[in-house]
Amino acid sequence: MTGPILALRGVSKSFPQGGLLDRLLGRDSRLVALDDVSLDVMRGDVVGVVGESGSGKSTLASLAVGLARPTLGDVLLDGQSMAELMRDHAGLWRRRVQMVFQDSSSALNPRKSVDRCLGETLALRGVPRAGRESEIAELLTLVGLGPEIGPRLPHELSGGQRQRIGLARALAMKPEVLIADEPVSALDVSLQAQVINLLSRLTRELGLTLLFISHDLALVRTLCSRIVVMRKGAIVEQGACLDVLDRPQHPYTQTLIAAVPKGLAGRRKTWPAPSAVAPETREDIHGAA
Amino acid sequence: MSPALLSVEGLRVGFRSADGGIVEAVRGVDFSVAPGEAVGIVGESGSGKSLSMLAVMRLLGAPARVTGGRVVFDGEDLVAADEKRMRALRGRDIAMVFQDPQSSLNPALTIGRQITDVVRAHRDVSATEARRIAAESLERVGIRDAGKRLASYPHEFSGGMRQRALIAMAIACRPRLLIADEPTTALDVTVQAQIVDLIAELRRELGLAVVFISHNLQLVAEIVDRVVVMYGGKVVEDGPVEAIERGPRHPYTGLLKACVPSLSGPVGPLTAIEGAPPRLGRLPAGCPFSPRCPDAIETCAREMPALIAEAGHRTACWRPR
Repeated sequence: MTGPILALRGVSKSFPQGGLLDRLLGRDSRLVALDDVSLDVMRGDVVGVVGESGSGKSTLASLAVGLARPTLGDVLLDGQSMAELMRDHAGLWRRRVQMVFQDSSSALNPRKSVDRCLGETLALRGVPRAGRESEIAELLTLVGLGPEIGPRLPHELSGGQRQRIGLARALAMKPEVLIADEPVSALDVSLQAQVINLLSRLTRELGLTLLFISHDLALVRTLCSRIVVMRKGAIVEQGACLDVLDRPQHPYTQTLIAAVPKGLAGRRKTWPAPSAVAPETREDIHGAA
Repeated sequence: MSPALLSVEGLRVGFRSADGGIVEAVRGVDFSVAPGEAVGIVGESGSGKSLSMLAVMRLLGAPARVTGGRVVFDGEDLVAADEKRMRALRGRDIAMVFQDPQSSLNPALTIGRQITDVVRAHRDVSATEARRIAAESLERVGIRDAGKRLASYPHEFSGGMRQRALIAMAIACRPRLLIADEPTTALDVTVQAQIVDLIAELRRELGLAVVFISHNLQLVAEIVDRVVVMYGGKVVEDGPVEAIERGPRHPYTGLLKACVPSLSGPVGPLTAIEGAPPRLGRLPAGCPFSPRCPDAIETCAREMPALIAEAGHRTACWRPR
């Protein structure tokens, strides 16, 4: 039995809050974004991390990818501590764990063509110049794009295409773990399905481990095998995705599920009684028409 | 059937392009809203849903402008109305709530000041009376301690409370029509559910007509009577919410429903709509959805089908389902 590919052990993360004046006056306060979180992600797991703003799900993503360090506790990659790995081989961590961001337009350099963006990433991995062109073509095919996209700049691409380039750039490092932070929330619904299906296919074909950060429970249900529900910096419930969504144990998970729009089935049958004080009418205010 | 409160007839909105031509984003839109009715306008970005409603409010900024059609509100054509008249109507008869409550409020003025300004613009009342009305409005949208909250600044409110404050501002003069443009997109899901409930509740209590613009069909279906589906600047389907939900006739509406996963049923690959949303100025002569439509035949790309009504359900499709 091998250990988890990615593990959080008692991780807390806090940020200083308030301005310079507060600090000078010794009114030190810190915003606790993650509070003693432990999580094991096994190789090949597709884990959905859900929660509302302020739940700490994006902080968890930046810790996992190595963009932030824990205030307390440790993050382990394949059993190796982040504290040690980052000191000696920071590049190794970043190669093995890659990230896809929410806003594809700000995640790509507006002055670099797709070819250049992917080429530079391949260079970082040590791919010799001669091999880059063919690998770029492979990457583009992998994310469902044609070679004609290569010379284009980000603004010449649609939102869906840009998000695929973000994905191709992450895959160019041949990562073992992919962190996707709200990768489809800025896309139109008709494009969301395309990108979700693509992510699903790639994780299967490449044997990737995926941490999918999202506020959309229905998307998580479609894509993920496991789910982690976060609230105010802590994990309140986790387990097999369908189990948790069909039989939520924590009240907060139940609240999240109840808030998902359900179309006709979600129409309210009863309404609160009208308030005791009748509202002023239009006629009261502006006179009869 | 009662006469419409709002009737949009053949509305066109265009932008002047760099080469001097006009690129149309709203291309002949017809729909109406009866007094007290709640209508959902559903479509993706670029469908023209927000532009159409900004045109109704006459809030289009340059370089966009109405290039044709009429907007009849209570018998009066708003496209022809002068700015003075529009100022009198906005806030008093038609009010609008936008997507981002943060940028809709002035950060330098208190919530109370911003609501009383609207009240005093339309009603001949004293400052004290205006404050009472503002407090009453805030209370009606579910903000506790409303009297004290009048002195708060927008940054002291959460996103959900800011949207409630904007709704309070919108209903303070008891408009007949409330236009809500993606009012919950910037909010968390639990807050979204509360705001949607609030709008439905106010509509029942105050007899407001509501136009709810959204990209989420499941969301609007919870509170509207009728759904208008837009694509590529055209209305492609318009019908009672039950009909749209149970038996959409336009392939786009059907796919739009199918590509959004639900929390029940089997798990499998999502139904995807292939291709990308249309780009302005590069629309086919025929149905704007034809390049992505699995049911398209040759005629579809060539000729735009008419919006044909059948038992109160309109569909613009050569091959309706």
